[in-house]
Amino acid sequence: MAKALSWSGRIRGVDIAALAGGFLCIFALAACEEPPLDPRAALIAKGREIFFNETFAGNGRTCGTCHRAEENFTLSPAFIATLPPDDPLFVAETNPELATLENPVLLRRFGLILENLDGFDDLENVFTQRGIPHTLALPTSVDSAQGPRTGWSGDGAPGDGSLRSFATGAVIQHFPKTLNRVPDVDFRLPSDDELDALEAFQLSLGRQDDLTLPMPLKDVVAARGQAIFLDNALGKCNACHFNAGANGNPAIFGADAGNLNFNTGVEDLPDQPADLTGERVPPDDGLGTPGDGTFNTPPAVEAADTGPFFHNNSVETIEGAVAFYNGDAFNNSPAGQLITGATGSGINLDATQTEEVAAFLRAINALENIRGSVALLEESAAQKHGPARATLALAGAETDDAIAVLAGAELSLEAVAHLRQARRLIDKAARSWFFRKRLTREAIEQQQMARAEIVEES
Amino acid sequence: MEPRSIGFAVLAALLWSAPAHAQKATEQFIPIGQSPGLSGEYTYLGAIEAADIVARSITAGGRSVQVTERTRIWLDRSGAKQPNLVGSFDDLRAGHRVEIKYEDEARRERADWIKVQADQDQ
Repeated sequence: MAKALSWSGRIRGVDIAALAGGFLCIFALAACEEPPLDPRAALIAKGREIFFNETFAGNGRTCGTCHRAEENFTLSPAFIATLPPDDPLFVAETNPELATLENPVLLRRFGLILENLDGFDDLENVFTQRGIPHTLALPTSVDSAQGPRTGWSGDGAPGDGSLRSFATGAVIQHFPKTLNRVPDVDFRLPSDDELDALEAFQLSLGRQDDLTLPMPLKDVVAARGQAIFLDNALGKCNACHFNAGANGNPAIFGADAGNLNFNTGVEDLPDQPADLTGERVPPDDGLGTPGDGTFNTPPAVEAADTGPFFHNNSVETIEGAVAFYNGDAFNNSPAGQLITGATGSGINLDATQTEEVAAFLRAINALENIRGSVALLEESAAQKHGPARATLALAGAETDDAIAVLAGAELSLEAVAHLRQARRLIDKAARSWFFRKRLTREAIEQQQMARAEIVEES
Repeated sequence: MEPRSIGFAVLAALLWSAPAHAQKATEQFIPIGQSPGLSGEYTYLGAIEAADIVARSITAGGRSVQVTERTRIWLDRSGAKQPNLVGSFDDLRAGHRVEIKYEDEARRERADWIKVQADQDQ
Protein backbone atom coordinates (compact mmCIF):
# COMPACT_ATOMS: atom_id res chain seq x y z
CA MET A 1 0.00 0.00 0.00
CA ALA A 2 2.83 2.33 0.94
CA LYS A 3 4.11 1.76 -2.49
CA ALA A 4 0.85 2.46 -3.98
CA LEU A 5 0.33 5.66 -2.04
CA SER A 6 3.16 8.05 -2.02
CA TRP A 7 3.57 11.77 -1.51
CA SER A 8 4.09 12.06 -5.13
CA GLY A 9 0.37 12.28 -5.19
CA ARG A 10 -0.44 9.16 -7.17
CA ILE A 11 -2.34 6.00 -6.23
CA ARG A 12 -1.45 3.23 -8.64
CA GLY A 13 -1.21 5.72 -11.39
CA VAL A 14 -4.24 7.73 -10.42
CA ASP A 15 -3.77 11.41 -9.78
CA ILE A 16 -4.90 12.16 -6.24
CA ALA A 17 -5.75 15.73 -7.15
CA ALA A 18 -7.96 14.51 -9.95
CA LEU A 19 -9.56 11.93 -7.65
CA ALA A 20 -10.20 14.49 -4.96
CA GLY A 21 -11.59 16.84 -7.53
CA GLY A 22 -13.89 14.12 -8.75
CA PHE A 23 -15.15 13.41 -5.24
CA LEU A 24 -15.60 17.12 -4.65
CA CYS A 25 -17.67 17.35 -7.80
CA ILE A 26 -19.82 14.42 -6.71
CA PHE A 27 -20.30 15.90 -3.25
CA ALA A 28 -21.01 19.27 -4.75
CA LEU A 29 -23.60 17.79 -7.09
CA ALA A 30 -25.19 15.83 -4.27
CA ALA A 31 -25.37 18.91 -2.10
CA CYS A 32 -26.53 21.06 -4.95
CA GLU A 33 -30.24 21.77 -4.72
CA GLU A 34 -32.59 22.19 -7.64
CA PRO A 35 -32.30 25.67 -9.09
CA PRO A 36 -34.77 28.01 -7.40
CA LEU A 37 -38.12 28.28 -9.12
CA ASP A 38 -39.31 31.62 -10.35
CA PRO A 39 -42.14 32.97 -8.19
CA ARG A 40 -44.87 31.92 -10.62
CA ALA A 41 -43.49 28.39 -10.93
CA ALA A 42 -43.19 28.17 -7.15
CA LEU A 43 -46.81 29.26 -6.75
CA ILE A 44 -47.94 26.67 -9.30
CA ALA A 45 -45.93 23.97 -7.52
CA LYS A 46 -47.52 24.93 -4.22
CA GLY A 47 -50.94 24.87 -5.87
CA ARG A 48 -50.25 21.39 -7.29
CA GLU A 49 -49.33 20.14 -3.83
CA ILE A 50 -52.53 21.57 -2.33
CA PHE A 51 -54.69 20.37 -5.23
CA PHE A 52 -53.65 16.75 -4.87
CA ASN A 53 -52.89 16.43 -1.16
CA GLU A 54 -54.78 18.97 0.94
CA THR A 55 -58.00 17.70 2.52
CA PHE A 56 -58.80 20.95 4.32
CA ALA A 57 -59.51 18.95 7.49
CA GLY A 58 -62.56 17.48 5.80
CA ASN A 59 -63.74 14.02 4.80
CA GLY A 60 -60.51 12.98 3.11
CA ARG A 61 -61.23 14.26 -0.36
CA THR A 62 -58.85 16.56 -2.20
CA CYS A 63 -59.43 18.52 -5.40
CA GLY A 64 -57.62 15.66 -7.13
CA THR A 65 -60.19 13.15 -5.90
CA CYS A 66 -62.50 14.24 -8.69
CA HIS A 67 -60.06 16.08 -10.96
CA ARG A 68 -57.46 13.34 -11.62
CA ALA A 69 -54.38 14.29 -13.56
CA GLU A 70 -54.32 10.95 -15.39
CA GLU A 71 -57.99 11.41 -16.29
CA ASN A 72 -57.69 14.86 -17.86
CA PHE A 73 -58.68 16.44 -14.55
CA THR A 74 -62.13 14.90 -14.61
CA LEU A 75 -63.53 11.40 -13.98
CA SER A 76 -65.26 8.93 -16.26
CA PRO A 77 -67.41 6.01 -15.07
CA ALA A 78 -64.82 3.62 -16.53
CA PHE A 79 -62.09 5.14 -14.37
CA ILE A 80 -64.35 5.25 -11.32
CA ALA A 81 -64.86 1.50 -11.74
CA THR A 82 -61.12 0.98 -11.22
CA LEU A 83 -61.00 2.76 -7.85
CA PRO A 84 -60.81 0.86 -4.56
CA PRO A 85 -63.86 0.95 -2.26
CA ASP A 86 -62.05 3.11 0.25
CA ASP A 87 -61.24 5.84 -2.25
CA PRO A 88 -62.42 9.17 -0.79
CA LEU A 89 -64.63 9.62 -3.82
CA PHE A 90 -66.92 7.06 -2.20
CA VAL A 91 -67.27 8.72 1.23
CA ALA A 92 -71.05 8.56 0.88
CA GLU A 93 -70.76 4.76 0.86
CA THR A 94 -68.28 4.46 3.70
CA ASN A 95 -69.28 7.24 6.10
CA PRO A 96 -72.88 7.12 7.45
CA GLU A 97 -72.70 10.85 8.27
CA LEU A 98 -72.31 11.52 4.55
CA ALA A 99 -74.79 9.00 3.17
CA THR A 100 -76.63 11.67 1.19
CA LEU A 101 -73.57 13.64 0.11
CA GLU A 102 -73.71 11.70 -3.17
CA ASN A 103 -75.95 9.21 -4.92
CA PRO A 104 -73.59 6.21 -5.22
CA VAL A 105 -75.62 4.64 -8.03
CA LEU A 106 -75.39 7.73 -10.20
CA LEU A 107 -71.79 8.41 -9.20
CA ARG A 108 -70.60 4.97 -10.18
CA ARG A 109 -72.74 4.43 -13.26
CA PHE A 110 -72.59 7.91 -14.79
CA GLY A 111 -69.89 9.83 -12.93
CA LEU A 112 -72.47 12.27 -11.54
CA ILE A 113 -71.73 14.40 -8.48
CA LEU A 114 -74.41 15.90 -6.25
CA GLU A 115 -74.49 19.70 -6.06
CA ASN A 116 -76.72 21.94 -3.91
CA LEU A 117 -76.62 24.87 -6.27
CA ASP A 118 -80.01 26.19 -5.24
CA GLY A 119 -79.36 26.07 -1.52
CA PHE A 120 -78.95 23.75 1.41
CA ASP A 121 -82.39 24.13 3.01
CA ASP A 122 -83.89 20.94 1.61
CA LEU A 123 -81.08 18.49 1.02
CA GLU A 124 -83.39 15.61 0.14
CA ASN A 125 -85.20 17.39 -2.64
CA VAL A 126 -83.21 20.39 -3.84
CA PHE A 127 -80.05 19.29 -5.59
CA THR A 128 -78.65 18.61 -9.03
CA GLN A 129 -76.53 15.79 -10.43
CA ARG A 130 -73.69 17.01 -12.62
CA GLY A 131 -70.67 15.61 -14.37
CA ILE A 132 -67.21 16.75 -13.32
CA PRO A 133 -65.93 19.46 -15.65
CA HIS A 134 -62.25 19.16 -16.53
CA THR A 135 -59.96 21.98 -15.47
CA LEU A 136 -57.94 22.21 -18.69
CA ALA A 137 -57.47 25.40 -20.74
CA LEU A 138 -59.04 27.54 -18.04
CA PRO A 139 -57.13 30.67 -19.18
CA THR A 140 -59.23 30.47 -22.34
CA SER A 141 -62.62 29.62 -20.90
CA VAL A 142 -63.46 31.45 -17.66
CA ASP A 143 -63.53 35.12 -18.57
CA SER A 144 -66.63 36.79 -19.90
CA ALA A 145 -67.74 40.37 -20.34
CA GLN A 146 -70.02 39.85 -17.36
CA GLY A 147 -67.45 38.38 -15.05
CA PRO A 148 -65.89 34.98 -14.52
CA ARG A 149 -67.87 31.86 -15.35
CA THR A 150 -66.93 28.75 -13.42
CA GLY A 151 -68.54 25.33 -13.21
CA TRP A 152 -71.20 23.98 -15.54
CA SER A 153 -73.60 26.88 -15.15
CA GLY A 154 -70.97 29.58 -14.81
CA ASP A 155 -71.91 30.34 -11.22
CA GLY A 156 -69.87 27.74 -9.37
CA ALA A 157 -67.91 30.02 -7.09
CA PRO A 158 -68.96 31.92 -3.95
CA GLY A 159 -67.41 35.23 -2.96
CA ASP A 160 -66.51 37.22 -6.02
CA GLY A 161 -67.40 34.32 -8.32
CA SER A 162 -63.84 33.95 -9.59
CA LEU A 163 -61.83 30.83 -10.31
CA ARG A 164 -59.76 31.76 -7.25
CA SER A 165 -62.85 31.60 -5.04
CA PHE A 166 -64.11 28.38 -6.61
CA ALA A 167 -62.08 26.21 -4.24
CA THR A 168 -63.84 27.68 -1.23
CA GLY A 169 -67.22 26.60 -2.57
CA ALA A 170 -65.85 23.19 -3.56
CA VAL A 171 -64.56 22.54 -0.04
CA ILE A 172 -67.94 23.45 1.45
CA GLN A 173 -69.87 21.35 -1.07
CA HIS A 174 -67.68 18.28 -1.42
CA PHE A 175 -65.26 18.05 1.53
CA PRO A 176 -67.37 18.21 4.74
CA LYS A 177 -67.16 15.64 7.51
CA THR A 178 -70.87 16.10 8.16
CA LEU A 179 -73.66 17.82 6.30
CA ASN A 180 -73.81 20.50 9.01
CA ARG A 181 -70.96 22.10 7.12
CA VAL A 182 -69.60 24.07 10.08
CA PRO A 183 -66.28 25.78 9.31
CA ASP A 184 -63.43 24.63 11.54
CA VAL A 185 -65.52 21.63 12.56
CA ASP A 186 -66.44 19.89 9.31
CA PHE A 187 -63.67 21.43 7.20
CA ARG A 188 -61.43 24.43 7.19
CA LEU A 189 -61.70 27.10 4.55
CA PRO A 190 -58.73 27.66 2.23
CA SER A 191 -56.53 30.60 3.17
CA ASP A 192 -55.87 33.48 0.80
CA ASP A 193 -52.42 32.06 0.03
CA GLU A 194 -53.89 28.64 -0.73
CA LEU A 195 -56.52 30.18 -3.02
CA ASP A 196 -53.79 32.07 -4.87
CA ALA A 197 -51.76 28.89 -5.32
CA LEU A 198 -54.74 26.77 -6.39
CA GLU A 199 -55.75 29.37 -8.94
CA ALA A 200 -52.22 29.54 -10.35
CA PHE A 201 -52.01 25.76 -10.63
CA GLN A 202 -55.39 25.41 -12.32
CA LEU A 203 -54.57 28.17 -14.78
CA SER A 204 -51.36 26.34 -15.69
CA LEU A 205 -53.18 23.22 -16.87
CA GLY A 206 -53.54 22.43 -20.54
CA ARG A 207 -53.83 24.91 -23.38
CA GLN A 208 -52.96 28.48 -22.60
CA ASP A 209 -54.28 29.90 -25.87
CA ASP A 210 -57.04 29.24 -28.33
CA LEU A 211 -56.33 27.61 -31.68
CA THR A 212 -56.46 29.53 -34.92
CA LEU A 213 -58.73 27.77 -37.38
CA PRO A 214 -58.79 26.47 -40.02
CA MET A 215 -55.83 24.11 -39.58
CA PRO A 216 -54.31 22.27 -42.56
CA LEU A 217 -55.59 18.86 -41.48
CA LYS A 218 -54.45 15.94 -43.64
CA ASP A 219 -57.31 13.52 -43.06
CA VAL A 220 -60.08 14.32 -45.53
CA VAL A 221 -62.84 13.35 -43.11
CA ALA A 222 -61.50 15.52 -40.30
CA ALA A 223 -60.83 18.35 -42.76
CA ARG A 224 -64.42 18.20 -44.02
CA GLY A 225 -65.58 18.17 -40.42
CA GLN A 226 -63.59 21.32 -39.77
CA ALA A 227 -65.19 23.02 -42.77
CA ILE A 228 -68.67 22.09 -41.49
CA PHE A 229 -67.74 23.24 -37.98
CA LEU A 230 -66.73 26.65 -39.33
CA ASP A 231 -69.62 27.02 -41.77
CA ASN A 232 -72.18 29.46 -40.33
CA ALA A 233 -74.81 28.05 -42.68
CA LEU A 234 -74.22 24.38 -41.94
CA GLY A 235 -72.57 23.32 -38.70
CA LYS A 236 -72.80 26.76 -37.09
CA CYS A 237 -70.53 25.45 -34.31
CA ASN A 238 -68.02 28.30 -34.55
CA ALA A 239 -70.55 30.85 -33.38
CA CYS A 240 -70.38 29.65 -29.78
CA HIS A 241 -67.21 27.52 -29.91
CA PHE A 242 -65.02 30.10 -31.61
CA ASN A 243 -61.88 28.37 -32.90
CA ALA A 244 -63.22 25.26 -31.17
CA GLY A 245 -62.76 26.93 -27.81
CA ALA A 246 -65.24 28.00 -25.15
CA ASN A 247 -65.89 31.56 -26.22
CA GLY A 248 -68.41 33.29 -28.43
CA ASN A 249 -67.31 34.36 -31.89
CA PRO A 250 -66.18 37.98 -31.42
CA ALA A 251 -67.55 38.91 -34.84
CA ILE A 252 -70.99 37.93 -33.54
CA PHE A 253 -70.91 38.55 -29.83
CA GLY A 254 -68.35 41.36 -29.57
CA ALA A 255 -64.63 41.37 -28.98
CA ASP A 256 -64.86 40.94 -25.22
CA ALA A 257 -67.81 38.56 -25.02
CA GLY A 258 -65.70 35.64 -23.87
CA ASN A 259 -67.47 32.65 -22.38
CA LEU A 260 -71.25 32.60 -22.79
CA ASN A 261 -74.20 30.82 -21.25
CA PHE A 262 -76.93 29.18 -23.35
CA ASN A 263 -80.03 27.13 -22.80
CA THR A 264 -79.41 24.44 -25.40
CA GLY A 265 -82.15 22.09 -24.25
CA VAL A 266 -79.95 19.35 -22.82
CA GLU A 267 -82.39 19.08 -19.92
CA ASP A 268 -85.14 18.32 -22.46
CA LEU A 269 -83.39 15.31 -23.98
CA PRO A 270 -85.70 12.28 -23.87
CA ASP A 271 -84.70 9.04 -22.16
CA GLN A 272 -81.80 10.55 -20.24
CA PRO A 273 -79.61 7.71 -18.95
CA ALA A 274 -79.67 8.84 -15.30
CA ASP A 275 -83.48 9.02 -15.37
CA LEU A 276 -83.66 5.42 -16.57
CA THR A 277 -82.20 4.21 -13.29
CA GLY A 278 -85.24 5.29 -11.30
CA GLU A 279 -82.96 7.31 -9.02
CA ARG A 280 -84.10 10.79 -8.07
CA VAL A 281 -82.66 13.31 -10.54
CA PRO A 282 -84.33 16.71 -10.10
CA PRO A 283 -84.30 19.04 -13.11
CA ASP A 284 -81.22 21.25 -13.29
CA ASP A 285 -82.17 24.89 -13.83
CA GLY A 286 -78.64 26.12 -14.58
CA LEU A 287 -77.38 29.62 -13.84
CA GLY A 288 -78.74 31.44 -10.80
CA THR A 289 -81.35 30.71 -8.14
CA PRO A 290 -83.93 30.11 -9.41
CA GLY A 291 -82.04 29.19 -12.53
CA ASP A 292 -82.56 30.59 -15.99
CA GLY A 293 -81.92 27.25 -17.68
CA THR A 294 -78.56 28.25 -19.14
CA PHE A 295 -75.18 26.53 -18.93
CA ASN A 296 -71.83 27.82 -20.01
CA THR A 297 -69.89 26.70 -23.05
CA PRO A 298 -67.04 24.25 -22.48
CA PRO A 299 -64.08 24.19 -24.87
CA ALA A 300 -64.50 21.78 -27.77
CA VAL A 301 -60.77 21.08 -28.22
CA GLU A 302 -60.61 18.93 -25.10
CA ALA A 303 -64.01 17.32 -25.65
CA ALA A 304 -63.19 14.02 -27.36
CA ASP A 305 -61.26 12.55 -24.43
CA THR A 306 -63.29 14.07 -21.59
CA GLY A 307 -66.70 12.52 -22.08
CA PRO A 308 -69.42 11.78 -21.11
CA PHE A 309 -70.85 15.01 -22.39
CA PHE A 310 -72.94 17.98 -21.21
CA HIS A 311 -73.58 19.04 -17.63
CA ASN A 312 -75.44 15.85 -16.78
CA ASN A 313 -73.21 13.35 -18.60
CA SER A 314 -76.23 12.43 -20.69
CA VAL A 315 -74.34 11.59 -23.89
CA GLU A 316 -71.53 9.06 -23.98
CA THR A 317 -69.73 9.61 -27.29
CA ILE A 318 -68.36 12.61 -29.14
CA GLU A 319 -70.45 11.57 -32.16
CA GLY A 320 -73.53 11.62 -29.93
CA ALA A 321 -72.57 15.03 -28.59
CA VAL A 322 -72.39 16.46 -32.14
CA ALA A 323 -75.63 14.68 -33.08
CA PHE A 324 -77.36 16.36 -30.13
CA TYR A 325 -77.39 19.63 -32.07
CA ASN A 326 -79.37 18.00 -34.89
CA GLY A 327 -82.16 16.87 -32.62
CA ASP A 328 -85.41 18.36 -31.38
CA ALA A 329 -84.09 19.03 -27.88
CA PHE A 330 -81.57 21.54 -29.27
CA ASN A 331 -83.50 22.92 -32.20
CA ASN A 332 -86.57 23.61 -30.04
CA SER A 333 -84.48 25.10 -27.21
CA PRO A 334 -84.07 28.86 -26.70
CA ALA A 335 -80.56 28.67 -28.19
CA GLY A 336 -81.75 26.52 -31.10
CA GLN A 337 -84.63 28.87 -31.81
CA LEU A 338 -82.30 31.85 -31.82
CA ILE A 339 -79.99 30.05 -34.24
CA THR A 340 -82.99 29.35 -36.44
CA GLY A 341 -84.07 32.98 -36.24
CA ALA A 342 -80.59 34.23 -36.99
CA THR A 343 -79.69 31.90 -39.83
CA GLY A 344 -83.03 30.82 -41.23
CA SER A 345 -82.70 27.20 -40.14
CA GLY A 346 -81.71 25.00 -37.27
CA ILE A 347 -78.80 22.59 -37.33
CA ASN A 348 -79.56 19.53 -39.42
CA LEU A 349 -76.41 17.56 -40.16
CA ASP A 350 -76.70 14.12 -41.69
CA ALA A 351 -74.91 11.12 -40.22
CA THR A 352 -71.85 11.53 -42.44
CA GLN A 353 -71.54 15.19 -41.54
CA THR A 354 -72.03 14.47 -37.85
CA GLU A 355 -69.22 11.96 -37.94
CA GLU A 356 -67.04 14.38 -39.89
CA VAL A 357 -67.44 17.11 -37.27
CA ALA A 358 -66.69 14.51 -34.59
CA ALA A 359 -63.62 13.41 -36.56
CA PHE A 360 -62.43 17.01 -36.61
CA LEU A 361 -62.90 17.23 -32.84
CA ARG A 362 -61.01 13.97 -32.44
CA ALA A 363 -58.14 15.27 -34.58
CA ILE A 364 -57.71 18.53 -32.68
CA ASN A 365 -58.04 16.69 -29.37
CA ALA A 366 -55.24 14.34 -30.44
CA LEU A 367 -53.09 17.30 -31.45
CA GLU A 368 -53.64 18.79 -28.00
CA ASN A 369 -52.76 15.44 -26.44
CA ILE A 370 -49.53 15.41 -28.44
CA ARG A 371 -48.71 18.99 -27.43
CA GLY A 372 -49.34 18.14 -23.81
CA SER A 373 -47.41 14.89 -23.98
CA VAL A 374 -44.37 16.52 -25.58
CA ALA A 375 -44.40 19.24 -22.91
CA LEU A 376 -44.50 16.57 -20.20
CA LEU A 377 -41.73 14.58 -21.84
CA GLU A 378 -39.55 17.67 -22.03
CA GLU A 379 -40.33 18.41 -18.39
CA SER A 380 -39.43 14.87 -17.39
CA ALA A 381 -36.06 15.13 -19.11
CA ALA A 382 -35.08 17.90 -16.72
CA GLN A 383 -36.20 15.98 -13.62
CA LYS A 384 -34.59 13.44 -11.34
CA HIS A 385 -35.63 9.83 -11.75
CA GLY A 386 -38.47 9.70 -9.23
CA PRO A 387 -40.36 12.81 -10.32
CA ALA A 388 -39.53 11.99 -13.94
CA ARG A 389 -41.33 8.65 -13.68
CA ALA A 390 -44.48 10.40 -12.47
CA THR A 391 -44.26 12.94 -15.27
CA LEU A 392 -43.64 10.18 -17.82
CA ALA A 393 -46.75 8.41 -16.55
CA LEU A 394 -48.81 11.52 -17.30
CA ALA A 395 -47.18 11.80 -20.74
CA GLY A 396 -48.14 8.17 -21.28
CA ALA A 397 -51.75 8.91 -20.29
CA GLU A 398 -51.86 11.79 -22.78
CA THR A 399 -50.47 9.50 -25.46
CA ASP A 400 -53.06 6.84 -24.62
CA ASP A 401 -55.77 9.47 -25.04
CA ALA A 402 -54.41 10.51 -28.44
CA ILE A 403 -54.39 6.88 -29.55
CA ALA A 404 -57.92 6.31 -28.25
CA VAL A 405 -59.49 9.37 -29.85
CA LEU A 406 -57.89 8.69 -33.23
CA ALA A 407 -58.25 4.92 -33.29
CA GLY A 408 -61.83 5.25 -32.03
CA ALA A 409 -62.81 6.58 -35.46
CA GLU A 410 -60.00 4.97 -37.46
CA LEU A 411 -58.46 8.37 -38.10
CA SER A 412 -54.83 9.08 -39.06
CA LEU A 413 -53.75 5.50 -38.53
CA GLU A 414 -50.14 6.32 -39.40
CA ALA A 415 -50.20 8.80 -36.54
CA VAL A 416 -51.60 6.09 -34.29
CA ALA A 417 -48.66 3.86 -35.18
CA HIS A 418 -46.19 6.60 -34.21
CA LEU A 419 -48.11 7.22 -31.00
CA ARG A 420 -48.02 3.54 -30.10
CA GLN A 421 -44.27 3.58 -30.62
CA ALA A 422 -44.01 6.71 -28.50
CA ARG A 423 -46.00 4.94 -25.80
CA ARG A 424 -43.58 2.00 -25.79
CA LEU A 425 -40.63 4.38 -25.56
CA ILE A 426 -42.22 6.24 -22.66
CA ASP A 427 -42.67 2.96 -20.80
CA LYS A 428 -39.04 2.04 -21.45
CA ALA A 429 -37.86 5.49 -20.38
CA ALA A 430 -39.77 5.17 -17.11
CA ARG A 431 -38.02 1.88 -16.39
CA SER A 432 -34.54 2.90 -17.51
CA TRP A 433 -31.90 4.31 -15.16
CA PHE A 434 -29.30 4.98 -17.84
CA PHE A 435 -31.13 5.69 -21.12
CA ARG A 436 -34.14 7.61 -19.88
CA LYS A 437 -33.27 10.87 -21.59
CA ARG A 438 -32.43 9.24 -24.91
CA LEU A 439 -35.63 7.21 -24.86
CA THR A 440 -37.58 10.33 -23.94
CA ARG A 441 -36.08 12.17 -26.90
CA GLU A 442 -37.06 9.32 -29.18
CA ALA A 443 -40.59 9.38 -27.77
CA ILE A 444 -40.78 13.09 -28.53
CA GLU A 445 -39.65 12.41 -32.09
CA GLN A 446 -42.40 9.83 -32.50
CA GLN A 447 -44.95 12.31 -31.14
CA GLN A 448 -43.74 14.89 -33.64
CA MET A 449 -44.03 12.37 -36.47
CA ALA A 450 -47.56 11.58 -35.31
CA ARG A 451 -48.42 15.26 -35.36
CA ALA A 452 -47.02 15.56 -38.88
CA GLU A 453 -49.40 12.80 -39.98
CA ILE A 454 -52.39 14.73 -38.65
CA VAL A 455 -51.63 18.27 -39.75
CA GLU A 456 -49.43 19.90 -42.37
CA GLU A 457 -46.47 21.49 -40.65
CA SER A 458 -46.20 25.20 -41.30
CA MET B 1 -73.04 36.14 -45.05
CA GLU B 2 -74.45 39.64 -44.57
CA PRO B 3 -78.03 38.66 -43.64
CA ARG B 4 -76.63 35.95 -41.40
CA SER B 5 -74.36 38.47 -39.74
CA ILE B 6 -77.36 40.62 -38.97
CA GLY B 7 -79.20 37.58 -37.68
CA PHE B 8 -76.31 36.59 -35.48
CA ALA B 9 -76.10 40.14 -34.15
CA VAL B 10 -79.72 39.83 -33.02
CA LEU B 11 -78.87 36.46 -31.53
CA ALA B 12 -76.00 38.01 -29.64
CA ALA B 13 -78.17 40.77 -28.23
CA LEU B 14 -80.77 38.27 -27.07
CA LEU B 15 -78.39 35.79 -25.53
CA TRP B 16 -76.11 38.28 -23.91
CA SER B 17 -78.54 39.61 -21.38
CA ALA B 18 -78.15 37.26 -18.43
CA PRO B 19 -75.65 38.57 -15.88
CA ALA B 20 -73.15 36.21 -14.32
CA HIS B 21 -73.84 35.29 -10.71
CA ALA B 22 -71.58 34.03 -8.02
CA GLN B 23 -72.80 30.73 -6.63
CA LYS B 24 -74.49 31.98 -3.51
CA ALA B 25 -75.49 28.66 -2.03
CA THR B 26 -72.13 27.78 -0.46
CA GLU B 27 -71.77 31.40 0.65
CA GLN B 28 -74.14 30.46 3.50
CA PHE B 29 -71.36 28.56 5.23
CA ILE B 30 -68.64 31.18 4.94
CA PRO B 31 -68.32 33.14 8.19
CA ILE B 32 -68.77 36.89 8.27
CA GLY B 33 -65.70 38.63 6.92
CA GLN B 34 -64.23 35.63 5.10
CA SER B 35 -65.93 35.70 1.71
CA PRO B 36 -63.12 35.29 -0.82
CA GLY B 37 -62.49 38.29 -3.01
CA LEU B 38 -65.29 40.25 -1.36
CA SER B 39 -64.89 40.69 2.38
CA GLY B 40 -62.98 43.76 3.40
CA GLU B 41 -63.12 45.19 -0.10
CA TYR B 42 -66.59 45.01 -1.54
CA THR B 43 -68.86 44.33 1.42
CA TYR B 44 -70.01 46.33 4.41
CA LEU B 45 -68.89 44.93 7.74
CA GLY B 46 -70.39 46.48 10.83
CA ALA B 47 -73.52 46.94 12.88
CA ILE B 48 -77.10 47.53 11.78
CA GLU B 49 -78.10 51.00 12.89
CA ALA B 50 -81.82 50.68 12.22
CA ALA B 51 -84.27 48.28 10.63
CA ASP B 52 -87.56 49.32 9.02
CA ILE B 53 -89.78 46.30 8.55
CA VAL B 54 -92.43 48.27 6.63
CA ALA B 55 -89.97 49.61 4.10
CA ARG B 56 -87.96 46.37 4.26
CA SER B 57 -84.79 48.33 4.59
CA ILE B 58 -81.98 48.58 7.07
CA THR B 59 -79.53 51.34 7.81
CA ALA B 60 -75.92 50.28 8.01
CA GLY B 61 -72.79 52.40 7.69
CA GLY B 62 -75.00 55.48 7.46
CA ARG B 63 -76.75 54.18 4.35
CA SER B 64 -80.22 52.84 3.81
CA VAL B 65 -80.10 49.44 2.13
CA GLN B 66 -83.12 47.80 0.57
CA VAL B 67 -83.75 44.15 1.44
CA THR B 68 -85.53 42.73 -1.60
CA GLU B 69 -87.23 39.43 -2.36
CA ARG B 70 -83.95 38.32 -3.92
CA THR B 71 -81.80 39.20 -0.91
CA ARG B 72 -80.50 36.11 0.88
CA ILE B 73 -80.20 36.37 4.64
CA TRP B 74 -78.04 33.90 6.54
CA LEU B 75 -77.48 33.47 10.25
CA ASP B 76 -73.78 33.03 10.91
CA ARG B 77 -73.49 30.67 13.88
CA SER B 78 -69.99 29.52 13.04
CA GLY B 79 -68.63 31.29 16.14
CA ALA B 80 -70.67 28.88 18.25
CA LYS B 81 -69.60 25.92 16.07
CA GLN B 82 -73.19 25.53 14.91
CA PRO B 83 -74.45 25.20 11.33
CA ASN B 84 -75.30 28.46 9.62
CA LEU B 85 -78.99 28.83 8.81
CA VAL B 86 -81.20 30.70 6.42
CA GLY B 87 -82.61 33.78 8.14
CA SER B 88 -85.32 36.34 7.48
CA PHE B 89 -85.81 40.07 7.75
CA ASP B 90 -86.83 39.56 11.38
CA ASP B 91 -83.24 38.61 12.12
CA LEU B 92 -81.99 42.02 11.04
CA ARG B 93 -82.06 44.03 14.24
CA ALA B 94 -80.39 47.25 15.30
CA GLY B 95 -77.02 46.59 16.87
CA HIS B 96 -76.48 43.24 15.20
CA ARG B 97 -73.22 42.73 13.41
CA VAL B 98 -73.68 42.01 9.73
CA GLU B 99 -71.85 41.67 6.47
CA ILE B 100 -73.68 43.04 3.46
CA LYS B 101 -72.95 42.37 -0.17
CA TYR B 102 -74.69 44.83 -2.44
CA GLU B 103 -76.29 44.03 -5.77
CA ASP B 104 -74.40 46.97 -7.20
CA GLU B 105 -71.23 47.82 -5.30
CA ALA B 106 -71.10 51.36 -6.67
CA ARG B 107 -74.69 52.29 -5.77
CA ARG B 108 -75.01 50.27 -2.56
CA GLU B 109 -78.81 50.55 -2.65
CA ARG B 110 -79.97 46.92 -2.53
CA ALA B 111 -78.53 43.97 -0.66
CA ASP B 112 -77.57 40.88 -2.59
CA TRP B 113 -76.97 38.95 0.62
CA ILE B 114 -76.70 39.71 4.31
CA LYS B 115 -74.96 37.59 6.91
CA VAL B 116 -76.02 38.24 10.49
CA GLN B 117 -73.94 37.18 13.45
CA ALA B 118 -76.45 34.97 15.18
CA ASP B 119 -75.16 34.52 18.70
CA GLN B 120 -75.44 38.14 19.77
CA ASP B 121 -78.61 37.86 21.85
CA GLN B 122 -77.36 34.94 23.88
